[in-house]
Amino acid sequence: MFRKIVVISTLIFAMVNIAIAQVQQTKGTFVDKFRQLDEILPTANTYRTAGGEPGHEYWQQRADYVINATLDERNHRITGTVQITYHNNSPDTLRFLWIQLDQNRFNKNSMQNKTETYNSPSNLKGFDEDPARLSLGQLRRMQLQEDREFGFEINSVTAGGRDLKHTIVGTKMRVDLPTPLRSGNTTTFTVDYAFNIIESDVMGGRGGYEHFPDDEIEGGGYLYEISQWYPRMGAYTDYEAWTAKEFLGTGEFTQEFGDFDVTLTVPADHIVASTGVLQNPDDVLTEEQKDRLEQAKIADSPVFIVTPAEALENEKEGTRDNKSWHFKAENVRDFAWASSRKFAWDAKGYNQGGTTQPFVMAMSFFPKEGGELWEKYSTEIVIHTMEVYSRFSFDYQYPVAISVNGPVGGMEYPMITFNGPRTILHDDGTRTYTAAEKEFLIGVVIHEIGHIYFPMTVNSDERQWTWMDEGINSYLDSVAGREWDYNIGSTEPRDIIDYMKSENQVPPMTQSDSVLRLGPNAYTKPAVSLNILRETILGRELFDFAFKEYARRWMFKRPTPSDFFRTMEEASGVDLDWFWRGWYYTTDHVDISLDHIYQMRMDTKDPDIDYARRRDEFNQKPSSLYITRNQEEGMRSWVERNPDVRDFHDENDQFTVTNKERNAYNSFLSGLDERERREFERAVEEDKNYYVLEFSNKGGLVMPILLEFEFTDGTTEFMNIPAEIWRRNHLRVQKLFVFDKELEKVTIDPRWETADVDVENNHYPRRIIPSRIEAYKASPRNGLKQRDIMHDIKTELKDPDEDN
Amino acid sequence: MKRLLILIMLIAGAFPASVFAHQQRAAMTKVLFNKNTGNLEVMHRFYLHDTEHAVQMLFDKRADIRSSADTQELFANYVSQRFAIKPLNGPELKLRDVGYEIERIYFWVYQEVEAPDNIEGLTMIHNALRDIWTDQVNTVNVEGRGDLRTATFEGDVELLSVEFTGQNNP
Repeated sequence: MFRKIVVISTLIFAMVNIAIAQVQQTKGTFVDKFRQLDEILPTANTYRTAGGEPGHEYWQQRADYVINATLDERNHRITGTVQITYHNNSPDTLRFLWIQLDQNRFNKNSMQNKTETYNSPSNLKGFDEDPARLSLGQLRRMQLQEDREFGFEINSVTAGGRDLKHTIVGTKMRVDLPTPLRSGNTTTFTVDYAFNIIESDVMGGRGGYEHFPDDEIEGGGYLYEISQWYPRMGAYTDYEAWTAKEFLGTGEFTQEFGDFDVTLTVPADHIVASTGVLQNPDDVLTEEQKDRLEQAKIADSPVFIVTPAEALENEKEGTRDNKSWHFKAENVRDFAWASSRKFAWDAKGYNQGGTTQPFVMAMSFFPKEGGELWEKYSTEIVIHTMEVYSRFSFDYQYPVAISVNGPVGGMEYPMITFNGPRTILHDDGTRTYTAAEKEFLIGVVIHEIGHIYFPMTVNSDERQWTWMDEGINSYLDSVAGREWDYNIGSTEPRDIIDYMKSENQVPPMTQSDSVLRLGPNAYTKPAVSLNILRETILGRELFDFAFKEYARRWMFKRPTPSDFFRTMEEASGVDLDWFWRGWYYTTDHVDISLDHIYQMRMDTKDPDIDYARRRDEFNQKPSSLYITRNQEEGMRSWVERNPDVRDFHDENDQFTVTNKERNAYNSFLSGLDERERREFERAVEEDKNYYVLEFSNKGGLVMPILLEFEFTDGTTEFMNIPAEIWRRNHLRVQKLFVFDKELEKVTIDPRWETADVDVENNHYPRRIIPSRIEAYKASPRNGLKQRDIMHDIKTELKDPDEDN
Repeated sequence: MKRLLILIMLIAGAFPASVFAHQQRAAMTKVLFNKNTGNLEVMHRFYLHDTEHAVQMLFDKRADIRSSADTQELFANYVSQRFAIKPLNGPELKLRDVGYEIERIYFWVYQEVEAPDNIEGLTMIHNALRDIWTDQVNTVNVEGRGDLRTATFEGDVELLSVEFTGQNNP
């Protein structure tokens, strides 16, 4: 008994020790913002090196899939069989496997559903009590979950005809292996399953069906975007072993690579868009469609495989027949597809060159609701995205790149993306789109196709770290968006300042489901930070080299944040621990203030020069108000009225030079050795202007100090002081600057590069920065660029007399 | 137990799926004690794309906030009706509508009132767009009176208060 207690208390003691084992400053107030990330980053090992590269014993698991599935359009249901071949490349022996059952999160008993908090403001206006509200959307969702069972129905798990014991735990399923799977070995098992497809508009999610009640076909039309649709292997990694984190809806996916052989049976009049390459075009396409596909390979602009007119005709009636589409995909981490009789389909070949994938087919699938907007832009943007992303990372790795229009606003899968923008239907039956919707289409297609690089090829763990794919991808989609059109509204550093100075936020290094305010946290802030790293801190050459090296090292592998941080640092040759610490591990913001400027002038030591200067300085001070007023009243002093009392002291002042000072000067000069004398004389002759600038760091985040000096002669000069200036004192620093010219004013970060939250303290002398309201009152502006002129242009000119 | 009357409204459900920044469903409001003017200024910043969808749900399927000054004004009024502010130790402030404008990717709505003296904090309500989207998040930064304070309106939050600390002058 006694022994037991001792053991327990030892354990507790050890835990406390671990909790406080970090290096701490326990005297004074010094904070080392440049402390290396030694205690924070995981210790390097043979799987992941200290340089952020896969180590010499790096391993990852692999899973190959053979899937046969049928889409039941009448019941919105998938039934299927998946055969999974799992390769254990880890050094460990596995006695059980974890399978991901992502559909289970839509079940009414899921952890996500049970932990969803009440989500509606019950008070509309005023400080009085008003009734609470439930949204119709919430009600519809609750009713749908009552009426239909969501989540996977697992009918059997078998291997070699024998049932395998399986245990479902939320969105995961443990499969117990009859014999342990040793390192280097492979096991194959089969799962027989089915699930009811969610209605995307009601349940949300990253796939589902969309209903078009106004379509001519009886009961309305349907469009399916199918994802998380087969039981798939959980991730087993060197850094976490099996992923235990439940799928709660925000933290996306962590996946293994593998090959897919998929046969999809759908209504015979459907067109299927899918990850992979179609294996049986003769069975599912007409001769004309196959000819058009050949033409598209060498076309200058996209060629329709199914024209909008054909799609419109096709969507008017259904069929009871089925067809099977057979696809194969190699080395992908997931597989998704879309199916509808509403799809128009266009394609254009892209010769990217290189050795891995010299030819890529870019394709788009869209219903009439996508219309002209999609016809014009989607496929071309797919190609543009590949051109830009490949320049910054590696050649696009797959044979097809697809953009599908359906209910999902924007979602990525290997080779295929789901994108939401639509046209507006008018009463006369025509369709137009606004400038905003066009920008949305350009932005979302770039973003989702970009995800085929990050994380579909550079396979980061989205369940743990949203920023690793969303932040990096948002940085690159901004680059690609601007290369499409400089006028596209892109993220600027200043767009993140209100978020970064606010109190309610968490560091980007937070598990995905615990992130507060996901958009600015995991998308905008990391994207802005990488942009600053590229444009301001490293420069384009160093950044682009390091980033490309990260992409090269980790393509088809699984990087963690430390691998990214270490690679960017090692390949750029610049210590960036302070930058990762500030931007990714804290909630500090940038606010550097220029508090004071002290001007100094070199003394000549020559009393005849220096004393005269002192007299000038003295005389520049305002004279006494008392004396001025007496003089204004005509009063004269006794001494003025009686000049005979004046003596030596009235003719000389405190600045009068005597030989005593001149002797001292001469003895100072003769005391200098030859070198000191040359240096002194040169400094006196040059007579430069010396300024000490005093800066304070009010935001906490250490950053470079970007300075613009404006001189009295009208010229300007820029200077970039590296962030390391803050290494000995992160709160306040002074720095001496020497100029030939006289300084008139100084501005910190004049081009708004660093997301500095307070512009007012960036100016010396201070200037009044009007608030937005003050500026607005001074000149109200109108956003004329933003009208739906495409529709308004059709407005008939009215006869002014008619109105009267 | 407090009995709540449940009112069903046409309101879009909360989709936890966060994919691409299309509709952000996030607004930022700056409440500024402006030393230069002596006013308490309220500057609401909405994503233009959010407002574009919102006005079609709120007013009219064809409402177009980008081109129609009427729709812009209607939306600005809608916002000012759903934002309220009250000192901890005083009555609700009567905010004046100053105006609205489109700037790059944003739609701004401006309000102001003479800044009251001797206040130790504010209670606020910000329900704009939260009556149509349950996942709308409105963040308010209160600046210019002591340390910056933040109030985040999301989920079932109705009223939020901030207290000022680090004030140099009351």
